[in-house]
Order: sequence, then C-alpha cells, then structure tokens
Amino acid sequence: MKGIVPLFLGIFGTFAFSWAGLILIPNYQIGHLEPQLDEDEKNPYPAPKSGMADRGRQIYAANGCVYCHSQQVRADYASTDIDRKWGERRSAPRDYLFDRPVVLGKMRLGPDLSNIGKRAPVEEESVSPAASPAPASPATPPASPAVNPAPGASPAPPATALAPPATSPAPASASPAAPANSPGPAMIAADTTSAANDKPAPYSAAWHHRHIYSPRSLVLDSNMPAYRFLYEKRRIGGERAADALTLGEGDAVPEGWEVVPTYDAKCLVAYLMSLDQSHPLNELKATAAASSSAPAAPAASPTPAPAKEAK
Amino acid sequence: MNPSDMPLKSPSAAPVATTADPDVTNRDVEQVERALIDASTRLPVLFFYGSAIAWLLLGTLLAGFTSWKLHAPDWLSNVGFLTWGRVRPAHMNVMVYGWASMAGIGTAIWLMARLCRTTLRHPLLLICGGAFWNLGVLLGVGAILAGESTGYQWLEFPPYASSILFIAYSLVVSWAILMFRFRRGDHIYVTQWYLLGAFLWFPWVYGATQIMLFAVPLQGVMQEAATWWFGNNLLFLWFGAIGLGTVYYMIPKVIGRPVYSYHLAAIGFWSYAVFASWTGMQRLVDGPFPAWMITASIAATILTIIPVATVGLNHHMTMRGHFGLLRYSPTLRFTVFGAFSYTVFSLVGVLLSLRSVAGYVQFTEASIAYSHLGLYGFFTMVMFGSMYYIVPRLVGREWRYASLIKLHFWSSAYGVGLMVAMLLLGGLAQGTSMHDPTLAFTESTESILPYLRGRSVSGMLLTVAHLVFAFHFGLMLFGLGRTASVPTFLNPQEEETLEAPL
Amino acid sequence: MNESSPAPERRVRQGMDYGETEDVQQVHAAIQREKREPLVGLEPLSLWLIAIYGLAIFFGGAYLGRYSGNFSGDGLDPLGGAPRPMKSGATGPGAQTQELSQADRGKKIYSANCAVCHQPDGMGAAGQGYPPLAGSEWVDGGTKRLGMIVLKGLQGPITVKGVQYGTAVMQPWDKTLNDAKIADVLTYIRQAWGNKGGPVTTEGVAALRKELANHPESFTESDLKAVPEDANLPGGDAPAPKPDEPPPPPKA
Repeated sequence: MKGIVPLFLGIFGTFAFSWAGLILIPNYQIGHLEPQLDEDEKNPYPAPKSGMADRGRQIYAANGCVYCHSQQVRADYASTDIDRKWGERRSAPRDYLFDRPVVLGKMRLGPDLSNIGKRAPVEEESVSPAASPAPASPATPPASPAVNPAPGASPAPPATALAPPATSPAPASASPAAPANSPGPAMIAADTTSAANDKPAPYSAAWHHRHIYSPRSLVLDSNMPAYRFLYEKRRIGGERAADALTLGEGDAVPEGWEVVPTYDAKCLVAYLMSLDQSHPLNELKATAAASSSAPAAPAASPTPAPAKEAK
Repeated sequence: MNPSDMPLKSPSAAPVATTADPDVTNRDVEQVERALIDASTRLPVLFFYGSAIAWLLLGTLLAGFTSWKLHAPDWLSNVGFLTWGRVRPAHMNVMVYGWASMAGIGTAIWLMARLCRTTLRHPLLLICGGAFWNLGVLLGVGAILAGESTGYQWLEFPPYASSILFIAYSLVVSWAILMFRFRRGDHIYVTQWYLLGAFLWFPWVYGATQIMLFAVPLQGVMQEAATWWFGNNLLFLWFGAIGLGTVYYMIPKVIGRPVYSYHLAAIGFWSYAVFASWTGMQRLVDGPFPAWMITASIAATILTIIPVATVGLNHHMTMRGHFGLLRYSPTLRFTVFGAFSYTVFSLVGVLLSLRSVAGYVQFTEASIAYSHLGLYGFFTMVMFGSMYYIVPRLVGREWRYASLIKLHFWSSAYGVGLMVAMLLLGGLAQGTSMHDPTLAFTESTESILPYLRGRSVSGMLLTVAHLVFAFHFGLMLFGLGRTASVPTFLNPQEEETLEAPL
Repeated sequence: MNESSPAPERRVRQGMDYGETEDVQQVHAAIQREKREPLVGLEPLSLWLIAIYGLAIFFGGAYLGRYSGNFSGDGLDPLGGAPRPMKSGATGPGAQTQELSQADRGKKIYSANCAVCHQPDGMGAAGQGYPPLAGSEWVDGGTKRLGMIVLKGLQGPITVKGVQYGTAVMQPWDKTLNDAKIADVLTYIRQAWGNKGGPVTTEGVAALRKELANHPESFTESDLKAVPEDANLPGGDAPAPKPDEPPPPPKA
C-alpha cells in the first residue's frame, strides 16, 4: 500500500463508520427518552432514585455486584426469565433512564435483580412471618428478647422488622400473605416458607441485610461471598439498636454484642428495595391481548379510584 | 554514524556492493542497520516488557483470587479490598492495561523501528509514556480495590486514573506517528498497517468512550452500548490488530519466506477493520435494546469469518512446507499457537453470538471463555512469541534454558486450553440449567462448580508458566543469558532438517 | 551449547564507522543469522476463499434482514412487528398490583423507602436522629404539615413527642414518589402502630405539590409551625380549608 494518507483515511473511516452505526444512530433512537406518563399526565415512570438508593447503586457497582447479578429481564419468547418470576415483563430501554452507572450486568452467578424490590413481602398485619409455629426456636438465643419497644397494643411487627421471632402474639397461619409476591419455587432452594424458622421474610430489608452479611445462612447453596466489611460488630450500648441484624447460629455474636449495618449497607439495601420494573410500558403492550391492557392504567401505583374507595 | 545516513537498500534487492569497500555487502549494511536500530530500541522496549511482566505476575495473583473465590466464597471474604467483586475487575484491568497493553506497545515499538528502518528517535517520549502508564494503572487498580470502581466493564478505572493513561498514551502515539513520518522507503508493510491502525484506533475509541460515559453522559442503556462497543473495539482493533501485525512479521521473518499474498493481506486488513469494529452489541442479545443494533453486531460477527479465513489462509500458505520449524523455534511455536487460537476464537465468537445459542449461554461463563481465548490464547501467546524473538536482540544474549521455554509453552498451552474447555462446557451446563424454570436457580450455580474448580487448576498451570517466564526474563535482563551465536532451540537440531538458522 | 566464541558486543555504539568490516562481526550474532525483513508475495485469491466470502455475506445479510425488528428504535423484538402477547402462564403487567389494597401498597412503599430510617415499627432511632412516627403528633395531626415534610424534606431540629431530634436530615421525596404513592404511604403511617389518623388522598397531595412548586428547599420546624396545626389537605376528613390554602381542585 502506498502512502500514509489513504491508510489514515481508511483507519479513520472505519472508526467513524462503526461509531456512527452503533452509537450515534441508536443514541438518536433511544438516547433521549422521557419517562412515561399515565393518562392523567401523572406518575412518571421511571423516577430517579432517592439519595440513599442512588448511593446504593454506586456501592453496588463499585463492589462488583454487577459481575454476578444481572438486572435485565429477557422476553418470554427468548428465555425463561419471566417464568422464573424475575419480572412480569421484559426490560426496555425506558426502564434505565436515570441509572448512572447503568448496571445491566452480563453474568448470572446470582439471580436477576431487576424486580427484587417489587418482590419484597407484603404481609397481613396479624402474621409475623418471623414467627415460628414451634415457639421459641432455639436457633437465635441472643436475638430473641424483644428489645424493640414494640408498642404492645399494635399487632405483630411487620415482616420487614429485623425483629426477633417467637415473641409475636399470633404465630397463627404461618404462611405469609400475598402469595402473588412470594418467590416461585424456582427461586430459592432453601426455605421458601420463611415461617419454618426465624429467618426474615425473603427479600425484605432484613433479609437483604442478613443475606449480604452471611449468604449461606439464608440460601444454603449460595455461592455469594459475604460482605461483612459492610457491617459493624459492636457492643450493645444501652439497648439493642433497631436495625441490628438477627443472625443465625453459625454467625451468632456473643452476648452483649450486635451487628449493625453501616451507612453503605443501608444505602445498598435501600437501592435493592427500590428495584422495580413492573410498571407497564406502553411500547411493550401487546396489541392482541386486549385483556391485559384492560386493567386500564395498570399502574404499579394506584390510580385515584382505589384511593377513593379506601377513603 | 546514523543508519539514516546509510544508503537505503530495498530488502529484496540482490546483494550488490555499493560501497567503496568491496568486502562489505548489502547484507552487511542491513545487518548493521538492524543492529543500530535494535540498540536504540533497547531501553524503551525493555522498560515496557519489564513493566508488562510485572503486571502479568500481579494479574496472575489476582486471577488466582478471582478463580478460587468463585468456588470457595468464604475464603478471605471479610476483607474489603479482597472481596471478589473488586478483585475481579482489578484482575481484568491489570491484565488488559498492565500486561497486554504494555507488552503490545513494547513489541510494536520494536516492530515499528525495524519496519520504518530508522533508529528510535525521542526515546524519552516512550519512557515517560511508559512511566505514566504504570502510574495510571497503579492508581486505577488501587482505586478499584479501594471501592471506587466506576462499574463499567474494562473501564473501571476512575477518571483520575484513566486520564493519566490517556496522557501516557498520547506520548506513545505521538512517538509512533513521528516514526511513521520519518520512515524510510516507499513500501508500507502489512504489519505497519495493523500497527498504525492500532495506534490510532485505541485512543479514539478509548477517548470517545470516556467522553460518552463521563462527559456527555449518555442516557440509560446507551451507556451499556458504549461500554461494549469499547470492549469489542479494544479486543479487536487494539489487541487484535497488534497481534495480527506481529504474526505477519514473525512468521515470514522466522521462516525466511515472504507472506503468501498481498491481496489476501489487504482484504484481510480492511474487512477486519470494518466488520470487527461493528461487533460488540452481540453481547447484549435479548437485552433492552432495539433489536437491529444487536443483529447488526451478530451479522458483523458472522462477516468476520471473511478476514479470519483470509488471514488464516495467508499464514497457512506462508508456512506450508515449513511446519517442521515448529519443533525448534519458540517464537514460531507461540506465534502459530496464537494464530490458530485466533481462528478458533473467531469461530467460537460466531457461535456464541447467534440468537438461538445466546439464549442458552448468555449470562454464563461461556463469555469468559471467549474473552480468555482471545486475550490469552491469541494475544498473550503471540506476545510471548515476540518476546522470545526480540529480547535476545536487545540484551545480546540467548535464552538460557530451553527446558524453561518448553515448560512455559506447554503450561500456557494446556492452561488456556483447559480453561477455555472448562468454561465453555460449564457455561453450557449453567445455561441449560438456567433455561429450565422448574429448576431452582441455585442448580445452575451448582452445576458449574466443578468446572470452576477445573478452571482453578488451569490457573495453576498458567501461574507456573508465568513464573517460569518471568524468571527467565529476569535472567536475560540481568545479563545472565547464554552467550552464543546460535539461538535457543526447543529441541536439538538435526543436521539435515534446518535450511537456515533462526 | 555454550561455546567459547568471544562474547558479542552487548551494544553497538552509534559512532561506528561504516567502513570497518570487523565491526560487522561485532554485530550481534542474532542479527547476523537473521533473515531479511519480510516481504509480501502476490498470489491471487483462491476460488475457495471467494466461496467462503459469499457464504459469509449471505448468512450475515440474511440474519440482518430477518432479525432486525424493522430497524426501529422501538423494535425490541427482533422479528419486528407489534409486541407479542405474553405466553399464557406468565402474569401480565399490573395484574398483581390490582390485588393489593391501599394499606398494602402504603406498607410496601414504607418498607422500601422509609423503614430504613424510621424503622419498620415506626419507632425511629433516637441515636441517629430519626424521629418516631408511631404516636407522633406530626403524623396524627393535620395532613398539610405532614405532606410538606414528605414532599420537600426537613432540615434542622424537630421536636416529636417532647424529644428533640436534630442530627438527621430528611430528604425530599417529591421527585421520587408520585402523588398516589405519597398518599398511600401517608395513609398507611397514619393508621399504623396505633396511629388514628384518617386517610390522605392523591388529589390532596397533588394540590399541595402544586402549591409548593416554587418552594425549592426543605422546610424547617419553624416553617412547619407557621402552618396551622390542624391544616389538612383537601380530600381527607378535614375542617374547612384555611385561607392560606388554595381551594381544593374539583375532582371527580
């Protein structure tokens, strides 16, 4: 080849060609999307995350969670992600508008997390999923005293409490409510009915904390490393902290000590609890299935109508 | 006397004495020229090589952590800077920017000097570039381990580290442009196309991506598109180009035959440039992207069969009849292994990118197998080959122990072969398990555990290879190589086989 | 193969005189035995190779044509066309949320956003400056103050149930939670843990958001106290709107 100029032009040309084709044009198509508004011009989806959750995303990225967990649900004709209840619909570009860095992930050594916040439990007030039908499970001696000044009059503490077991008044029907939200059998090999023991309800904030602190105490076959450096072990000063972790046998701390999450851990869990891609998107609505679009503005957030009824 | 003052001889001209002294032939002139060129490249190239090998050792250590912790997650898990999620990107970045890039630049420096047939000018540019590069990588890796990774794959260095890399690189590339500008001779050899391409593509791609991710910044999933556009361009247009350029020099040089066909070389180069740069999006199959950009990348991956077949044929025909030399020359062995891996790597890439296959192996370890096949099986092995050729010419000694070279070769070859096999099979097992919704998710991670342990074994082989090589290189660096006029052959040469020494 | 030949020069000095032939012998042995720099031959393209090119172009092109989703930015489906209906068995979007009552929704919003600081039992954490919500006069009282806190956030000390909490800052939620969600979560906290307040409606929150549209920063306790204690948002069981409130927008 003679001459450096044609060589240079060719080299530059191929660079420009690929950049234009793979970056410039797609950016024109999907790089300037706006959040979707409901019919009444309200409820933009997605919304940018709040301070703690946003910081949680930085921590998620910086600690390499993205190298094991993905956050994209594939379509049902291409994969079985939806059958695994990782999402109700596939992910679309609009789901990630405000994410920086965007953590789509390319590996699944751990399950997909796109909707893990949505899968957080919602239980009836009367049932503490932390309750065990068999009272006083010996598994957690140090954590059992209800140090929490739980107002006695109120029903059992909500499942998201890191609260102790066995002290709840009504260890009634141990099956957690809202079966629609409970993970399918395909999710966790270990206890699917968390009522079997003192473990927090799956995907609650307490569960996340304990899972990050000691994954194998909640999911036996888990391969996830423990992130204990995000937690602090300290002496109980006065009374037990409200967000101290309830730990299993293998990780139990000596009497008088507790494990509390650092701010980073709280942010990370706040981020996880905020992951929810269930809001339906207009561009994904199947035209053929009128039935699925009939639940009108099927917003993840309620429309004014139900709110009125509740009043 | 400066070789630039010497009358320029075309390498193909028959030896004709053009000097007053009839005892001095053109061949001698060429040799003196080369000797001066090599001498001038000595310091920068050895600096880059030494740094690269040091990073290789660190990267291998981090790789050991990464591999081991995947099947023994509780090992050393409570220390923040050793958590798997930080060690893995640290390993990747050390290998990509520390080992591979610096080895590539070192080889490219020597090749440019030889092919431009002028002594290395402005070595200070290169030394400064290398020093800044080391600083940038050090800062970047420290930042990752400290928890400041950006979260973008292969771009985890925070901006303060990547900008140092950029400064370092601009020093290197300005040197390359100067060399090219002052080259002697009309003819631009194949290797020079690839090297010029690599030197220009890397800063453009890296700089553009940094701007798109941090300055613009792109919105939403376009960040991921930019990340993988960068990733594949790095793999093909930086490492691939340097690797192919090196192969194009080493094979004909060692054998002493010309490259088979100029036309094939030209087609191979330009089709490679166009198609390989369009890959990248196939790593995002079924993701939240418009389908056309993913399919465009898949189509481009299919079309890379064109340059791969072309270049493969070119090299094969060049080597035809001389495969026997593989018994003796370490350079040739490593280089041919690398070139062969390149073909396999491309075919595996095509296979993994098809939508029907990707539905199973997406999100599995199979993509790691693919990356390692390219970066280690192809690029690293070619770099080893080039180092085995170049270092004796810089230090004036031969490699001391043929047995160590053989140990290096076989450990590396078996190591990378085992790793790729383990991860591809493991990825398939993992993907098949994930695809079945009646199986709990943990079944898929269980299914790949034995393969991950196998990968750790392969990692041990690679560690042996690298330690051996580093030791051997250290010997050369400190002047403890063999003094001999015959190179270190891998096997004792027989009288009748060799037509010419290497 | 160590021979006793003289060690070649480690480095050839630059000032070498071209005419000196014996210096050539001092050139490194490796260079002496080297072959010439590589050349390129001129063999023509083989027909087989052209056949391979053709195949590759055909398959690549066919792939591109079939799976490109009409090259549109909305075309996430590689086969193009309208989005396909979900296979039976997978629940459609929105179906699940229909089953949740407002209390459930509010609780979920609370767990996801508020419980981190105010604790799942609504008791807050005195040591870290998070006031309790259970039995709090700010929660049980007028909904306007409550709405202001949640929409715009709170800075500085605040006294709740006789105890002053000063160290924490509450972030504004107007950008993260929409009106309906705020209404749900306020309704929830006003009815949980023994609180006896009434519900909050979405229109009320919307009206307040509009009223505060030009108010950029967070409120302080004194800002809140400037609003009457029993001021309510429209829509709840409330007394007559105060003069400083805009009339509630008529909503069906």
